[in-house]
This record gives sequence, structure tokens and C-alpha cells, in this order.
Amino acid sequence: MSAPPKPVPLTTVESTETSDSGAQTLTLSVGPQHSGSGHMRLIVEVDGDIIVNVAPDPGYVHRGIEKIIELRNIIKSIPVIERPSIIDSSNLNHAWVRSIEEIQGVEVPRRGQYLRTLLNEMNRIMSHLYWLSIYGVFLGHTTMFMWPLGDRELFIDMAEKLTGARITYSYLVPGGVRRDLPPGFAEEAVKRTEYFEKRLKEYDRIFFNNPLFTSRAKGIGVLSKEKAIELGCTGPTLRGSGVDADLRKDEPYAAYPELDFEVSTRPDGDSFSRAMVHMDEMRESCKIIRQIVKKIPAGPIRRKAPIVLPRGVAYGRVESARGECSFYLIGEGGDKPYRARYITGSYRNMAAIPAVLLGNRLADMPTAWWSIDYWPVEADR
Amino acid sequence: MSLSHEREDDLVQKLRENFPADIKETNIIRRGRLEVRVAPEKIKEVAVFLRDKLSFDHPNGVSAVDYNRENRFEIVYHISSMRIKEMRDLVLDLKESVPRNAPKVGSLVSVWSGVENYERESFEMFGIQFDGHPRLEKLFLTDNWDGPPPLRKDIRFPTD
Amino acid sequence: MVVEGSLSAQRTAQEEDPVATLAEGLSIWVGKLSDLVKRVVDTGPIRNVINWARMYSLWPVNITTACCSAEFGAASGARHDLERFGVLPIGSLRQSDLIVIEGTITKKMAKRLRMIYDQMALPRYVIAMGDCAMSGGLFHDSYSIVNGAHEFVPVDVYVPGCPPRPEALEQAIIMLQEKIRRSKVYEQG
Repeated sequence: MSAPPKPVPLTTVESTETSDSGAQTLTLSVGPQHSGSGHMRLIVEVDGDIIVNVAPDPGYVHRGIEKIIELRNIIKSIPVIERPSIIDSSNLNHAWVRSIEEIQGVEVPRRGQYLRTLLNEMNRIMSHLYWLSIYGVFLGHTTMFMWPLGDRELFIDMAEKLTGARITYSYLVPGGVRRDLPPGFAEEAVKRTEYFEKRLKEYDRIFFNNPLFTSRAKGIGVLSKEKAIELGCTGPTLRGSGVDADLRKDEPYAAYPELDFEVSTRPDGDSFSRAMVHMDEMRESCKIIRQIVKKIPAGPIRRKAPIVLPRGVAYGRVESARGECSFYLIGEGGDKPYRARYITGSYRNMAAIPAVLLGNRLADMPTAWWSIDYWPVEADR
Repeated sequence: MSLSHEREDDLVQKLRENFPADIKETNIIRRGRLEVRVAPEKIKEVAVFLRDKLSFDHPNGVSAVDYNRENRFEIVYHISSMRIKEMRDLVLDLKESVPRNAPKVGSLVSVWSGVENYERESFEMFGIQFDGHPRLEKLFLTDNWDGPPPLRKDIRFPTD
Repeated sequence: MVVEGSLSAQRTAQEEDPVATLAEGLSIWVGKLSDLVKRVVDTGPIRNVINWARMYSLWPVNITTACCSAEFGAASGARHDLERFGVLPIGSLRQSDLIVIEGTITKKMAKRLRMIYDQMALPRYVIAMGDCAMSGGLFHDSYSIVNGAHEFVPVDVYVPGCPPRPEALEQAIIMLQEKIRRSKVYEQG
């Protein structure tokens, strides 16, 4: 990253504080009512228009899910667990059933594993597309708001055929999945993913190769590799900083060991890298979906699993669209968990918000901030 | 994937050699999941050792658990390694216990700066004090929250 | 009550002044005239014109409370396109007419939501989207949420569902437009 521009002393606006260097700074509250913040607040201290201090103020969507899970049985908790990120619900659900199955010692049939992977990858595309559309809003690019949301419906239709719901599926249950593939799904999936890959090329043309975007994103919000690891970042944020960490490869689960895909990384660690990691992942997910519908084995989709959670501890995690989503689950023999610690990808990446914003101009805030793919609902739980 | 525990056994042995008195308990849950319980006053030294010598550089999260029947809180640091690719499937749970009536422990923000938010959350949800934390205040709860720390086991909120 | 008392005291002091008497009489007539204007507007075709303008320019303010925002986004997007109903999300709350409360309202957010509602210009409308905004929904027993939007703002239309489909939101918009069409001009909001 080039050195941040020299701070301009502020003289015309009444300031609230004086920094150590003697320059006057101004504290701004961005959000929660703001088109560039979402359901959270960022308290930003600016010197001129250079951001010198950032304090995220989350909690506007904190619903106490960890407490609620302790009071419900493990099946009834599934809809609650999906809600933090309903655009990526099946991945969060997968982390939950995975940690339950680890304690119960239940093996999922292979067809069930493939179906789980199928829905997870569709969810990953949907989540990335939603992220991209909001990125378009933040950058004032209305076409990039409309196109991804329109193309997202391609996958929502498929998921609706498979599960019966648009975005909140509750499809994964301990022991397998709820429903089998509907007839004609495979052809539809191939057709739609191929069409979608063509659309992605158009996205490149209109947005990612567009100087309007590249000039605002390249070199903005740099997060170095060491910093990203030290802050505990995960998912596309970590991969955008050049670490090829992906739980689908590092700790293969479900059907991922049998599928052929690549982990995409970008070395620069700026907003553009993180955005491009999302684009690459959507292409890879399309490849995975086509492989799944081709390779899916016959057999049962669900094995009987008890509704009790035996005594034991598990740390179950999956690679959700925003990175590692994990449950630290403690069972004590009843149908409710003793403790279910729920850490999501966005919560992990919250630590990166100050790191990417510091030293940038206030006008670059939406670009840098939203490139982390921070979904406040998921972080607050 | 092999199911051997050689790597985990090796880690436990290294920790036991370096901190013979402070490692209270180790437990291999399965391949890639390892629990280590240490004395609260020595946790920082063990953490620095894990970070510098065993390359556990990536904090995955911090969980606090309330064992009110045993009258203690347990704080669990989930850590993993990013630098060594072969160790990325391993999550080490570094645990410490504090008495429930005087929950005060040292903060590990100076070791892994990423645990700052998690420790803040444990503070507001359980009332655990972290010494040396740079900003120990509310994170998620509403500004004028005056109730008890909500995630404690003995706290029940009226349901309607 | 205090205000009325002070006004009558003022009147006794100014009773002798002919100009004041004239002004008072005039103000009574102006008041009567404005009543007449209101009645004419509300019964005649002018009401239809004003209501027609209000119906098709419902601009919701950019405030998202929870996860139903995903379906609100989908409804504003290419397939469902809320803009054909005249619904255009806007950042400035002074120029907006509508709040769509998208899902769970936490105690922390409720305060801000009320502040935003108070700052909006009249007439203003509220759509409570999702079960959580109606009654707390899935999270009704949580320690940090408000069980329903009606506890702190008046609600015009409720949309059940968890989350409601975009079609349901579209229906809510149409219902709200119907409500505006039928209501009197000076009693809205």
C-alpha cells in the first residue's frame, strides 16, 4: 500500500477533539440509518477526510441466539440457527448438524452428503450475488444492483424446487437431508449454471474491468497477510490477502473430498482482491454444482439419528460463504445442548474492519468496508 | 484421511515437556481436535509458546462456558495454525477455569490481537473480567442494559 | 390547559384595541375558510389527485433491522422490481414516506427506529415485515428484542412470513396504496 496521504488540518469546521499531533479531528457516526452501513454503526474519527480511528458498534441485530439454543431441542434450533444469515442459511445449518453428528457418532449416507454439498454451493453463489448487489448500491452502480439480484433468482428457483423454500430451507437435519432431488433437476442445474457463467463474463465487462470500479478499489483497504492471520480473519477476506485457507480443502467434509475445485487467492489484500475472490468462488461453485449432479450416487438420503445430544464436546465447522462458521457444542445427555457457542464468519471478520479502514479517505469507506463481506445480522447473532 | 493421533500426541508431549506443572489436563477428542487445560496464571506463557514455537498464529474464537453446578467459568480459546498448511485442520482448545464468584483472568489480546472482540463479548455475556484488555465494554447489548450478564446459566428471562 | 389560560388572559388585555378585535375576527374567518378548504379538498376530486400522487411515490427510508432485508432486497431487485409500484429506496429520511421494518427489532435498534420515525415528514407510513416485527416470531423469548413494532410506532400494514416472500411485500404495498386512496388528505400519516 502506498503511504496514506498527508492529513489536512481542519480549520473551517467546528471540531470535537484534538489529536496528539495537534490537528483537529471530527468524530462521525455512520449508521445505522445510512445507505452505506447496513444494520450497524461505525464510529469514525476523521482528520480532514482521512480516517484516523474506527470503532465498530455492532449489536443492532443481537437476538441472543446462544441463549435461545440452550432452551430448545436440537431440531427446533435449526430455524433459529439459519436466521443470522438467511442468504447463506444452509451453510450455517451444516455447521450445526455437523457438530451434532460428531457427538452422536452418526454417519450420513453418501447421497445425503452430496445433496448437502449441492445446496451449500448454491447458497454460496446466492450469498455472493447478494453481496455483489449491495456492493453495487454502495458504489452507486445501479446496474450492479439489479443484475446480481436478478440472477440470484435463478438459483433461488432451483433451491425452491429442491427444498420447498426460497431462502430458509431447514433442509439439513441430523443424519442427512429432508428431501431427494426432484425430477429434471440435473438438466436444469447444468443449463442454469452455464447461463450464469456467461453472465459472470458480462459482470466483468460492466463492473470489474470498469475503471469506475477499479480506480476506486485497487489499493484501497489493504489488509496484509500477517495482519489478516493475526486478527483471525477467515473466508474470502483471508484468501484475498493471499492465504489459501479453505476448510473445504483443509478439513474436507461432506462430498468435497471427491470433487474437483480450486481455492482462489489473490496476493494484494486490497478491496479489489477480495472482490475478485468472490467472483472466482462463484465460478468454482458452478463447476462443483455440475459435478455433483453428474456424480451423485444412488442410495438413501437420510439415516435415523436420535434427537438426544449425548454427553460430549464437539467443535464442528464448515466453510460458509463468509468463512469459517463453527459451533462449540457441549452435550449433557438431554435433547438440549448445555452450551452452543456460535461463531460465524462475519463475527470473525469484524476485527478486520478497523484494519482496512484506517488511513483511507472517508469517501473510500464503502468500498473498503463492504469488500470484507461483513453481514451484521450474522455477526450479531 | 488417516485417523492416527501422532501429531496431537506430539503436541501434547511438547507442551508437557515445557510446562510440566501448568498443564493440568489434555484430551484428544478426535483427530484434529485437542483440548489443553492450563492454570489461569500461566495461560499467557503457554499462549506465547504456542504462538511462537508451535506456530498457532490464528485465533478462531473464544468461548466461555458457565458450569454453575461446579461453581466455575471455563474460558476456551480455539486456536489454529495458518502458516503450516498440514496443520490447518487442527483446532486446539486452550482452556482455563476461574471461580464463579471472582471471575478475573488475564487477557490474551497481546498474544493474538484477534481475540479482542470475543473477550469483550465474554465480558458482557458472562461478566468475566479480562485484565489488560484494551477496551472492556459492551459490544452487542443495548446501551442502557442494566440486567445481569444474560448468558449465565442461572439467569432466566420471563417468556410470554 | 396552561396555554389556553394564558391566551384568554391576553385577550382581556387587548379587548379595547379595535385592530386586535378586527384581527381576531379575521382569524376566525380564516379558520372557517380553512375548514371549508379542507372539506372541499376531502370531498372533491382534489383529494383523488393528492392521494394518487401519494400512492405512487412511496419512498422507503434505508433502514434495515434484521434478516428480512434479504427479501426486501430481492423485492427491489430485477425480478420483482418494487419500483413499478413507485417504491424507490432512498437514503434521506426527510424525503421518505415509508418505513419498512424488516424483521426483528432489538431494543438497541428500537430507539433508533423511533428517532427515524419522528424525523420523517408527514404523511408517513409503516409496514411491519415478517413475524418478528409482528410479535417477536422465532425470537419471542429472547432477552434483547422488542416483541412487535406496534410497541413503539403505529403500524399500517403487517406482512406475515418468516421471511415473507417478495410477492407478499408487493401485496402489502398494494394494500397500503388502497388505504391511502380511501383516506382523507388531512388525516393521513
